[in-house]
Amino acid sequence: MKRRSPSSVLWLSAIALLCGLQMIAAAQTVSNEKTPVGPTPRTPEGKVDFSGVWDPGLSFTNLGQVPLQPWADALYKERRANLSKDDPEGHCLPAGVPRISPFPQKFVQTPSLVVVLDEGNVHSYRQFFLDGRGHPKDMDPLWMGDSIAKWDGDTLVVDTIGLNDKTWLNGQGVPHSDQLHVTERYRRPDLGHLSVEITLEDPKAFTRTHTFTRTYTLLQNWEIHEYVCNEFNVDADHLVGK
Amino acid sequence: MIRPGVWLAAAFSLIFCTWPASAHHSFAAEYDSTKTISIKGTVAKIAWVNPHAYVYISAKDQNGKPVTWAFETLSPNALAIRGWSRTSLKIGEEVTVDGYLAKDGKPLEDGSLHANSRQITTADGRRVFVGSSAPDAPQ
Repeated sequence: MKRRSPSSVLWLSAIALLCGLQMIAAAQTVSNEKTPVGPTPRTPEGKVDFSGVWDPGLSFTNLGQVPLQPWADALYKERRANLSKDDPEGHCLPAGVPRISPFPQKFVQTPSLVVVLDEGNVHSYRQFFLDGRGHPKDMDPLWMGDSIAKWDGDTLVVDTIGLNDKTWLNGQGVPHSDQLHVTERYRRPDLGHLSVEITLEDPKAFTRTHTFTRTYTLLQNWEIHEYVCNEFNVDADHLVGK
Repeated sequence: MIRPGVWLAAAFSLIFCTWPASAHHSFAAEYDSTKTISIKGTVAKIAWVNPHAYVYISAKDQNGKPVTWAFETLSPNALAIRGWSRTSLKIGEEVTVDGYLAKDGKPLEDGSLHANSRQITTADGRRVFVGSSAPDAPQ
C-alpha cells in the first residue's frame, strides 16, 4: 500500500476539520425559531408527551458505519458509483424506516397510539401501537413496516418489522434486506428536545447489530407543510449519475 | 501568511463537505458541480411546486438570442422555513443567478435550459432562495 506523505496527511486532516466545523455550523435548525426551554411535558396519565412538530436538523443524515455483509457492501459501492441516481426518494417513493427526510415530522399522541406524520420526502405516516398488540402474522412487506410500542420508564420503545427491501438507509445508498428489525428508543429530556437511539438488526445484510442516534428540536410555532412530491418531479428524467 | 495549501483545503471542504438541510435527489446524479454558470436576466415565472420550486429567467445567450433558463431551487416547504415565499421574487425583477448546469444538457419539456441555482441575487443586493437542493450539493 502506498504511504501518504506527511503533508498530504496534514491537508486531509485540515479538510476533515473544516468539514466538521461546517457540519456543526449547518447543524442548527434552519428556521428562525429559538428552541424553547422548559421541563418535559407529560400527559394527564403521567407519561412523557412527545406531541409536537419536530425538526431533525442535520441529524437526518446520521447513520454511522453500518457493518455490511459482502453482497450488501457490493450493492452499496454500486450505488455510490452511480452517484445515487436510483435513490427511491428521487422518484418520490417513501423513505422507509429508519430513514427520514430533512423536513419536520409531527408527533400526535394518545394513550394507546402515537402517530408520526412525515412532511416529506413523500407524505407518509407511522403508527406506534401502544395497546399491547403484537406484530401481525404473515405480513406483506411494507414501505414503512409495522410498529408496536411500549413504555420503559420515560422511554418510548418502538419495535418495527415487516419492511420491504426497496428503501435505502440513507442517500448514499446503504442497503438492507426484508429482515431488517428496527428498535427505536425515544426520549424527551426537556421541552425542546427529542432524542432517539436507533438499533438496526438485519441477519441477511449486516454482520452485526448497529446503533446510532438522532436529536430533534421542537418547532413550537411551525406546522408541517404540504409536500406533493410527484407534482413536478422533472428530476426523474434527468438523474443520469456519472 | 497562510500557505496556499490551506486555501486549497478550505476550497475542497467547501465543495465536498457542506450538507444543506434539504434533499430529494442526489445533486451529483443530476448536476455538474464543475460547470458553474452565472446568468443575469429577469424573472419570467416562479413555479412554486414540489419536489423543487423553479425560477424561470429570461436572458440572452452569447449571440444575443432570447433564452429561458429553468433553475431548480429548494422545495417550497424548505424555502418557507427559511423565510422565503412565492412572492419573494417579483415577475420582471432583474436578478443574477449563480448555479450549476444539468449533466445531461437536455432542456426541460417546455424547452427551457436546465440548471440548479446556488444563489439568486436581486438588483438591490438581496440574496434570495440561497442554497442548493441535495445533501451532496456544493453550497
